[in-house]
Amino acid sequence: MSDYNFKVKIIGLLDMLAFKAIVPKRKAILDAGPDKKITGIYGANLLAAKLHPKKQEMKISEITDIPGADAKHYILKGNELAVFRAGQYIAVDLNIGGSVLSRAYTLCSDPLKAKEGVYELAIKRTEDGFASAWILDNWKVGDTVTASGPEGFCYYESLRDEPRVIGVAGGSGITPLLSMARAIASGAEDFDLTILYGSRTEDSIMLKEELDGLVASSDRIKVIYILSEEEKEGYEHGFITAELIKKYAPEGPYSVFMCGPDAMYSFVGKECEKLGLDKKHVRKEATPAPASPAVFPDYPGNIEKEFTLTLKIYGEELKVLMKAQESVLTALDRAGIKANAHCRGGECGFCRTKLLSGEYFIPAQFDKRRMADDEGGYIHPCCTYPLSDMSLLLWHE
Amino acid sequence: MARRYDAVVIGAGNGGLTAAATMAKAGKSVLLLEQHNTPGGFATSFVRGRFEFEPSLHEMCEFGSEQEPASVRELFDELGIKLDWHLVPEAYRMVLLNDPDVKDVTMPFGVEAYTEAVEKAAPGSLPSMKKFLALCSDINDALNYMSSSGGHPDPKVMQKDYANFLKCAPYSTNKVLDVIGMPVKTRKIIEAYWCYMGVDCDHFPFYAYAIMLWKYLTTGGYIPHKRTHSISLALSNRILELGGDIWCSTKATRILMKDGKPCGVRTTHGDVETEHVICDCSPNAVFGDMMDDSELTSAQRRAINAREIGMRGFVVYVGLNKPMEELGLDAYSYFIYDNMDTVDQVKCVNSFEKNHIQASICLNAAIPDCSPPGTTIMSFTTFFGADLWDNIAPEDYVKTKRAVADQIFEDFAKATGVDVRPYIEEIEIATPATLARYTLNPKGAMYAYANSDWDSMLARLMMMKEDEIIPGIRFAGGYGPRVYGYNSTYNCGNMTAKLTLADMKGEV
Repeated sequence: MSDYNFKVKIIGLLDMLAFKAIVPKRKAILDAGPDKKITGIYGANLLAAKLHPKKQEMKISEITDIPGADAKHYILKGNELAVFRAGQYIAVDLNIGGSVLSRAYTLCSDPLKAKEGVYELAIKRTEDGFASAWILDNWKVGDTVTASGPEGFCYYESLRDEPRVIGVAGGSGITPLLSMARAIASGAEDFDLTILYGSRTEDSIMLKEELDGLVASSDRIKVIYILSEEEKEGYEHGFITAELIKKYAPEGPYSVFMCGPDAMYSFVGKECEKLGLDKKHVRKEATPAPASPAVFPDYPGNIEKEFTLTLKIYGEELKVLMKAQESVLTALDRAGIKANAHCRGGECGFCRTKLLSGEYFIPAQFDKRRMADDEGGYIHPCCTYPLSDMSLLLWHE
Repeated sequence: MARRYDAVVIGAGNGGLTAAATMAKAGKSVLLLEQHNTPGGFATSFVRGRFEFEPSLHEMCEFGSEQEPASVRELFDELGIKLDWHLVPEAYRMVLLNDPDVKDVTMPFGVEAYTEAVEKAAPGSLPSMKKFLALCSDINDALNYMSSSGGHPDPKVMQKDYANFLKCAPYSTNKVLDVIGMPVKTRKIIEAYWCYMGVDCDHFPFYAYAIMLWKYLTTGGYIPHKRTHSISLALSNRILELGGDIWCSTKATRILMKDGKPCGVRTTHGDVETEHVICDCSPNAVFGDMMDDSELTSAQRRAINAREIGMRGFVVYVGLNKPMEELGLDAYSYFIYDNMDTVDQVKCVNSFEKNHIQASICLNAAIPDCSPPGTTIMSFTTFFGADLWDNIAPEDYVKTKRAVADQIFEDFAKATGVDVRPYIEEIEIATPATLARYTLNPKGAMYAYANSDWDSMLARLMMMKEDEIIPGIRFAGGYGPRVYGYNSTYNCGNMTAKLTLADMKGEV
């Protein structure tokens, strides 16, 4: 002990008595607590549940064909749907012939309509779109749809993005930008948006009527249509190049939001570089990982192979078939296992899973894992393709 | 038939992870339950664009160097956790926006260097600093003796060898600093860490403040190279290696009771049998939401309802597209307050407008390569006392949190001359609702139950037996006897597991 003789009361002994009082004092306070039902759920917890419900149920109230594409527009209604930020998606649960899966679809409605219990989706039949084809052929008015809460990071944030935005869309990539345009028109968002929308031909432009209506309703929204396979008056022709962006870009700084297929990202991304735009000023909507790894030039496996996937799930063990040509998540879907999955593009991390053994391939552009996960043996099954038999410790909601 | 475990741990936060690892290492069968899809609780990370953010740790206390390890490093060594660590470069830089006595001070680690810096910033500090540091050292010795005594210190030894501790322990920080005659300016500099506790210095016990400052000065502050996610990952991998089970994405919904004792836990993935439950979650959740009200006595209800839920967290994370040097940043840890009247400041966190408190971190100052070349990672933390977020309508949520974040940037710019806003490439804003979402803490608390005078660590440790209101259910983590903070919760998980192991021995 130091040679300093500390005391608060003139007689230090009284401080010792105060020490002895610590326990009786606490006992008395505990004893005087309110005798009511205990709860761990308060306002902030309820707000969290409203903003981020794990599941939401809704009914399909209207289905219309979207001219210009093999696509449909769905109006979904629910009692209490979570508010979202224009550009976010929901992952809808599907059960297709025994496969249990979910697919992320960007909400294309005005976020304010969520308050009235309305979400809208525009879904296009895609080439390898096992799920989109099933939805287009099977969803009927009156059906119940179960989906996740709103997810994803492709939204406007005034603390980060410039107040003037160039939206670059290809095909069904228009959906987040449509939602943003609707949000601007309704006052839910506050920025200027110029959409450069690439389509093959005039006839294949999705949702043109809605977009034109929004342009007419607000001088903060502009849409320029670019046709790659047609030259027509009133339309730009060709691809979305640096010159084209420059032609429609505002004076001063602006942010670019790209929404479309990966091929468009690599092309437009390079064009943005030519314009001197840095990473802060170029954002893109996440894309799902491709169905097959064969599209990656550095894929080292043999696409014909089949493997065994061994799963440890909450004390049970299960072996299922896994094909080299599909992601690990697809193998789980096919086996009818309700795996955690939202974005299916490596970004959200919801499917993060402990690998017990096995070799795999993760394409670099989809490897968005945390730094420690690689060495620590964790993978995102949505963008992991098997190269051997594998064993996983699987967790799911 | 339900699976049987020697112990079930509810919640894979810091306390839950070390509790489960300790049980597994002792050869017991253990199941660790976690409602989130990833173990870790607050000790995690998240990726946005090309940045991986540290959600919560500013600097681990009681860690120490490889040569001179302190308790947490020793615990990690014992559990077989090997990671790369960085010593943070300074104790803190504190900038006060509107204080008549102190404007801007930067304080180093190390008792001597710190004392010199205090004297330089506030000449005339030395006499009271000498007394203060003597008390710090005495308190450190006393607490070391108390923990080595296994919770049964000899009162005679305490009175003889640790009298200073006994005499100052009942009093608040401000009270003791008054008694030792510390000048106002000196006090304002040394109380800078108060926001790590979220309790003002009229209500924060002196011994607790003194031991925290002493530990930081003598053992420094540390952070892991790959964010705290790497700690949680290493601990969970170790638990699996040792034969423990981990069930994530699994919520414990009910403690199953028989004859007044736990006999199992109901989860969203089925029932498991156990007689020992270690909870790394709030007693509110366990006794309020996992048990029937009828299973509790009035006294038990009152004892839980009397506890005060601590500060609710709010953090802004940014990835900046400029290196810290170009931004003009040099320090790692920034405490920015309106003033250093902590009693006044605690009142201000009950309001959106008056809150000008932040503890901000420039991660690259400790880990230069934590983000890609030419970029910087920063986080800005504040907290709220009142339930300000309870009545925010979901449609107003984004603009509310954005306005708070903007005020934080404004205050930071005012304090340091550095406005980070033009350089934000990625941003994420965590509110009490975000913390509630990921950790299920009541009210989005980041500091569990308030560590205030009557309910401080010492009082909780002295009443550990009584606080185990149902035998067989113990609390690790911030709600437990060692209160919140990284060092406390890791140590608490280990201690709680050891107590549970002792219970098991008693049964044989």
